[in-house]
Amino acid sequence: MGRYILKRLLQGIPLLFFVSLILFLLMMNMGDPVATMGGRRVTRSSDYERLRRQLGLDKPIYIQYLYWLIGNDWAKTDLDGDGIAETPGTRHGILRGDFGTSLLARKPVLEVIGERLPNTLMLMVASEFVIILGSLLVGIYSALRQYSFMDNLLTAILFIAYSMPIFFIALISMYVFSVLFKRWGLPYLPTVGMFDPQAGRTTAQVLWHMVLPVLSISLISFAAYSRYIRSTMLEVMSQDYIRTAKSKGLPGREVVFIHALKNASLPIVTVIGLDLPLLLGGAVVTERIFAWPGMGRLFLDHVDRADLPVVMGILMLIAVAVVVFQIITDVVYAWLDPRIRYEK
Amino acid sequence: MRMRKSLMFFLVVVALILSACGGAPTPASPGEQGAAGPAVTEQPAAAPSQPERKVATLIYTQEFDNLAPLYTSMWFVWTTWQMNNHWAWEFDENNEPFPRLVTEIPSAENGGISEDGRVITMKLRDDIKWSDDTPLTADDFIFTWEMAVSPSNTVATTYPYDAIESVTALDPQTVVVTFTDPFAPWLATLWHGILPAHVLRPIYEAEGTIDNADWLRNPTVGCGPYSFAEWESGSYARFVRNENYWGTPAKIDEIFIRFVPDDASQVAALKAGDADLGTFISYADVPGLKDAGLSIMVEPNGYSEWMFFMVNEEKGHPALLDVRVRKAIAMAIDREGINRDLLLGLTKVPASFWDALPYYNDPPLENYPYDPEAAKALLDEAGWVDANGDGVREKDGVDLEIDHATTIREIRQDAQAVMQQQLATVGIKLNVSPVDDTLYFASYAENGPAARGEFDIQEWSDGPLFPDPDLYYWLCDQIPTDENPVGENWFYICDEELDSLIKLQSTQVDAAERQKTISQINQLFYDQVYIIGLWQDPDVYAVGSRLKNVKFSGVTMFFNISEWDLEE
Repeated sequence: MGRYILKRLLQGIPLLFFVSLILFLLMMNMGDPVATMGGRRVTRSSDYERLRRQLGLDKPIYIQYLYWLIGNDWAKTDLDGDGIAETPGTRHGILRGDFGTSLLARKPVLEVIGERLPNTLMLMVASEFVIILGSLLVGIYSALRQYSFMDNLLTAILFIAYSMPIFFIALISMYVFSVLFKRWGLPYLPTVGMFDPQAGRTTAQVLWHMVLPVLSISLISFAAYSRYIRSTMLEVMSQDYIRTAKSKGLPGREVVFIHALKNASLPIVTVIGLDLPLLLGGAVVTERIFAWPGMGRLFLDHVDRADLPVVMGILMLIAVAVVVFQIITDVVYAWLDPRIRYEK
Repeated sequence: MRMRKSLMFFLVVVALILSACGGAPTPASPGEQGAAGPAVTEQPAAAPSQPERKVATLIYTQEFDNLAPLYTSMWFVWTTWQMNNHWAWEFDENNEPFPRLVTEIPSAENGGISEDGRVITMKLRDDIKWSDDTPLTADDFIFTWEMAVSPSNTVATTYPYDAIESVTALDPQTVVVTFTDPFAPWLATLWHGILPAHVLRPIYEAEGTIDNADWLRNPTVGCGPYSFAEWESGSYARFVRNENYWGTPAKIDEIFIRFVPDDASQVAALKAGDADLGTFISYADVPGLKDAGLSIMVEPNGYSEWMFFMVNEEKGHPALLDVRVRKAIAMAIDREGINRDLLLGLTKVPASFWDALPYYNDPPLENYPYDPEAAKALLDEAGWVDANGDGVREKDGVDLEIDHATTIREIRQDAQAVMQQQLATVGIKLNVSPVDDTLYFASYAENGPAARGEFDIQEWSDGPLFPDPDLYYWLCDQIPTDENPVGENWFYICDEELDSLIKLQSTQVDAAERQKTISQINQLFYDQVYIIGLWQDPDVYAVGSRLKNVKFSGVTMFFNISEWDLEE
């Protein structure tokens, strides 16, 4: 297994290089960061030329990629526009752990990302927890009581939830549970942010402010996951070995959770394995609506203003996470199903 | 499965603890307080036992890029410079200047402006100081200018500092600014915030740049009524009362700025009472906010929504070369109706580029009236008639079919639909193209349609260099070309008379002389109908019922923030 993991990691290196190249080329065409630096006005022509020179944006794309990859501390740049490159570069490149400096925030990209990552993890992990736990309960319940009234009712509710766009769920829940509840004199939930400034940032405040975002993120995925689990559980429950287990007199709980669920989990693990790295990217829509300071908003804000170092940093982080989580998924496969072996 | 659940639970708990601990309000960095020690007298944000503590919550729909003067042109950041910094002179609710860091505004009468208009002499107040008790002197002004023009600093703009020959100090309270040439726009463009030399000069001397100085994002030393306390990326920024302030102390303990990028969420937060002030309110949201008990305040800021005609033989529709056609279009659109119906009567139709600067809109111009019959007569006179009866006028085999583009902003699309209908009644076919902002305003080098002048009529919100009346970007040499892709004359109009008048006013330091020149330009714009004003585009704020004494300026937006108060 160790050799397999090492081999997959080594295979990931050229893959990440290729991904970085494609992303860089795409990002270079997403807009001009200097064009928006004039505020409500077009950036003055003299400032435009100066800033592009100072920020290294006047260089050809392949040079910019090279600097992003290996740094520019071996080259000199022309800061004052006199045509003479006299100032040594200060960038070390991503291969030496330097993701660059944000063109907007004017601080290291890793610091920019590091500020947002815990907030996103907090929101997304809590949501994923709610999704997995809830969908397991509902999915198993529905599978065991197929076509019962509750199964049909749950199916109907989940299809309604699944068919709603997330922005609609988020805005309607905010309006109902915050604005209307307050108007009606009921206990109401906060609209935006992570805490009430008057109360301060306490764990209780953060949890309270997480309710609506987590609800919004969970609802759609919850609907999809639970239907998926119901379907795989139905398939497994009709297998011969389940009938055998039942006829041996094993308790129903053991049959369901030990024999059925473990085997029904394989396809679910694939879905979760694909989902987990995307947690790092945050929930773009939900974070925006609830003003949650996570990675999704960071990405959107910086894409809007073509802040290439930050956008590339986020995308590469997700790319690395996808590679790593795929390896982890394969390992979990082997753990769940002893028939799977990756080495001869 | 159990292991995974445990792991999930563990991660949630860790993230919550990190969040609750990591984001706790922190005192200002002692390293940047100077020898006098921390000047930020801050109380903990979690203060349930101190109900009298006044915290005003403001919603900003965009987050700051940084907080340093010179380093950004972002509207939202400019507002913070009335909290923890100051302009040398600021502007009131009537957009009139008043002295802030200076004893009086330089003028020819008080000897502040030299006869040749090149030298501005400023007398600083002798009681102004930074929040760490360091006196604010002429040295800070000199340092600010040096940083603006240093090639190693990536400031947002070097304007107007690159027009300055020298900044010197006669004494700690007297600053002498010498321009290379007479420079008229100095009052509106100089000293938008001051850099603290005692904090930043050592960094500049050590690193050769202040680009990486922590102060740019954490300006804990300031000179305004509030001190910067904390900025959590993507979430909020806090400004607490500067107990060391040299002026009248602020009445509110803390200004809490929350970044809420979504308009609908901002409205919900305001309605739910989760915020005291909302910014950039959409007209469509005004009735609902009023119903919820909020006040809507509108402040002219020099910007208005304009239709720009492409009067250029190589670009644009040939009909637009005829002033009668341009005038007919102006008279065929019911602009008052658009303001009344689509903008709820909160704005008015601008007649002049200088509507928000009445001194320069003198004599005040009156709009061409809505008169479709007169418009038809003008089109007939110009030879554009509907000979084939298809409802669209033509001349020499060319249909009067005009392409009009603007961004996808809702109010613009609504107005486009109305204009399309009204122009059709006089025989003009208007093809409307809503374009995404980023694509529409892309640069000439990126083939941006506005920069390339691809449409017959372009539309966006624009104005002079408010509160200065200058409008240099209408100059002929600002027309973008392959050789000059950064040109800013996206109207592609080159009018020699206009060109010479614009150049003349930019050198007229004498306000009365300049006013005469601007009036000539005003009349020329009006007669030639190069532009049509649709609506003034003011700053629209929603103010909660407990926030009192609030006034806004279109220039230094929160100029009286120290007088704001909170009352339940």
